Amino acid sequence: MTELSTRQLTKSYGDRPALEPLTFKVDSGANVALVGHNGSGKTTLMKMAAGLLDPTDGSVRIGRHAAGSQEARRLVSWLSDTPTFYDDLSLWEHLEFVARLHGVTQWEDRAEQLLDQIGLTQRRDDIPTTFSRGLRQKAAITLAFIRPFKLMLVDEPFVGLDEPGKQALLTMFQAASQRGATMLIATHELSFVTRVGRLLALRDGQLVYDGAPADTDVHALVLPS
Amino acid sequence: MTDDALDNIDNINTSEAFDAEGARQALDVLHDLRRRRKRHRLGDIEWFDAAYRVYLVALFGGGTVLWISSSITDTTVSNSAVADVARNGPALIGMITALAFLAAVRSGAQGGPLALEAADVAYVMLSPVDRTRALLRPVVQRVRSSAYLAATFGAIVGQLAGRRLPGTPVAWAASGAVFGITTAMLWAGTALVAHAIRLPLWIATTIGLTVVAWQGAALAWHIPGPTNTAGSLAMWGWRQNLVDLSAFAVAAIVLMAGVTLLQLTSLDALARRSSLVAQLRFAVTMQDLRTVILLRRQLNQEQTRGNPWVPVPRWITPPIPRRGIASVARFPATRLVRMTAFAAMAGVFQAMVMRGTSPALIGTALMLFLLGLEAMEPLSQEVDQPDRTDSLPIERGELLVRHLIAPAVALIPFAAVTAAAAVAVLGTRAIVPAAILALPTVVAGAAGGVVSIVRDAPDPTRNTQQAFIPPEMAGMASAFRVGLPILVSALAASTILFVRHAETLHTSAIGGAIRGAIGAALLAALITVWVRRRDRWKRTFRKFMSDGQSYKQRSTA
Repeated sequence: MTELSTRQLTKSYGDRPALEPLTFKVDSGANVALVGHNGSGKTTLMKMAAGLLDPTDGSVRIGRHAAGSQEARRLVSWLSDTPTFYDDLSLWEHLEFVARLHGVTQWEDRAEQLLDQIGLTQRRDDIPTTFSRGLRQKAAITLAFIRPFKLMLVDEPFVGLDEPGKQALLTMFQAASQRGATMLIATHELSFVTRVGRLLALRDGQLVYDGAPADTDVHALVLPS
Repeated sequence: MTDDALDNIDNINTSEAFDAEGARQALDVLHDLRRRRKRHRLGDIEWFDAAYRVYLVALFGGGTVLWISSSITDTTVSNSAVADVARNGPALIGMITALAFLAAVRSGAQGGPLALEAADVAYVMLSPVDRTRALLRPVVQRVRSSAYLAATFGAIVGQLAGRRLPGTPVAWAASGAVFGITTAMLWAGTALVAHAIRLPLWIATTIGLTVVAWQGAALAWHIPGPTNTAGSLAMWGWRQNLVDLSAFAVAAIVLMAGVTLLQLTSLDALARRSSLVAQLRFAVTMQDLRTVILLRRQLNQEQTRGNPWVPVPRWITPPIPRRGIASVARFPATRLVRMTAFAAMAGVFQAMVMRGTSPALIGTALMLFLLGLEAMEPLSQEVDQPDRTDSLPIERGELLVRHLIAPAVALIPFAAVTAAAAVAVLGTRAIVPAAILALPTVVAGAAGGVVSIVRDAPDPTRNTQQAFIPPEMAGMASAFRVGLPILVSALAASTILFVRHAETLHTSAIGGAIRGAIGAALLAALITVWVRRRDRWKRTFRKFMSDGQSYKQRSTA
């Protein structure tokens, strides 16, 4: 079953094309890395899949639903590279809010476990807008995992994370993948690419590689033209 | 632990029952969160401080309204003037609604009028909650605040009109308020619809300008205009036509249409506007007018031109004026149009002053102040980069003064627009006085913008330990901070009174214009000296205060 599919997906900012017509499919349960140089269109693609950006042309579907639709929003968890938080809620209150917003009633145990896993238990009652870059990223990770999802879209997850944080996140990705979730992870961390089954590479908004990571020189793929 | 924590992945329930129940629960959660956050905010408010601010606004706002009211004589206007108002009033007042429509349709095409917190976009809008219901409250808040402002403004202007026209001031104030609410509803509804249907900006601008042009034609040739009924509604304090209620009905229908289409709201636009609007609200709270204008430009996606209109001439070699000209030469067309409108409006207001409407000086002052803020981009850019400024081998005051050169030159064509607008209203007899007075007045008026920019700059002479001022002084300082720049612009605008006075005495208007021009030039020079010497004066003053405190402490010991 296809979890994510794009058809002739295009995005332009004024006269400047950010994403050329792009067509691909990601099967349910797949573990996919998305690489490319700065400005190659990775974040644009991810945001359109999350329903945050309107395509200039073409379409993105999550399962059978249009990206951004109410049904699609139930299926997609979006972990941004620039986490945002309410400045008057603690991390614990954020977790409660996001979990309950997605219909999770028994959320407390899961929240405690996630905080423990990522190393934020001591900070659960603090306001996340006061956190450092790395801690904000960790807080965002817990919020992305507290809610149900079938597809997780992750943009630059390792930025600002310390080594224990990276390891915890990798473990969580792995567990999610094992449980059948589809993962699409945009990253500059090329060592991570060897862990996934499929690699998509963008260059100047065009898909220049779609295949197994082992079959290509990843370093060459991320060089701008 | 991982397996337990990731149970969520298996928790997707695709049954219809979850959809209906889940959506309802999600809304309950959202309302619960909003209530909780409201409690947090109310708990954080410093009530004494808030009450003091309200007191200051009431004091200064009420004082201004009373002053303007007292400037208008209580004698009713002549019969011919009443007939003139009856004939042109609906079209003229309707022009305000037409302009609001233009602003709304453009705002909607650019992603307005709503702005959520970034976290709301990330968590609420990306959750399966019903977006129409989730966005309803921001819409209500937007409409409520716009309607309140417009109604207040309408009521103030209405009661002023009621002092000279048939009808009581109270009735005029009420009809002015209804007109304001109608216009605000139309504004919000139009913007929401334009947003939802993703109206391209050029089409939005074309539609808006067509309505404004049609309304302009209605004003000029007395044909039915698209917003005449709205304008006529404002005159219910005098006479009532039932058909005018159609304006209110249309505004309500457009607003309902906008609400119905909320489901189509673009997250793209909400996400882009969210952080800007948060900064904008903070800037408004801090009375930082310059930042407000800067952020408004960003909200409107107004970007500097990649290619300058004209290249910087090679013969201009000093780096700071070169940098200034490069900046001014990249002003986008929209900003140039806006500056032209400010300049023209300033000319019209000055003409009104010449005809005896002294309160129009406030309009001139505001227009020149805004023109100054727009023109002083190079100075703003420098002020926004304090670290770089402090690293340059030149005294800050000297640097900032050199940044005034290019904007002052750039104001010359706008001064010509101001003069032309005044002449268009007053007739050819005003050509020579306007030619003499326009440039000094515009430059000195724009100096109000300079004061605003420089005062908002980070202060390198300030010792944070000395920054504390008592609350009663903080309120006055806050009012002074907002008022001083506009006062400077008002002083520049008031130079027109030399010409009016000369005409009243039947002496040479040209002589009056020359005296006014000298006064404006002196004001501009004074502001330049203030920019140049400000840091030094503040340093001297603080040293004086510090020495005084040390002396007092020694004496006490």
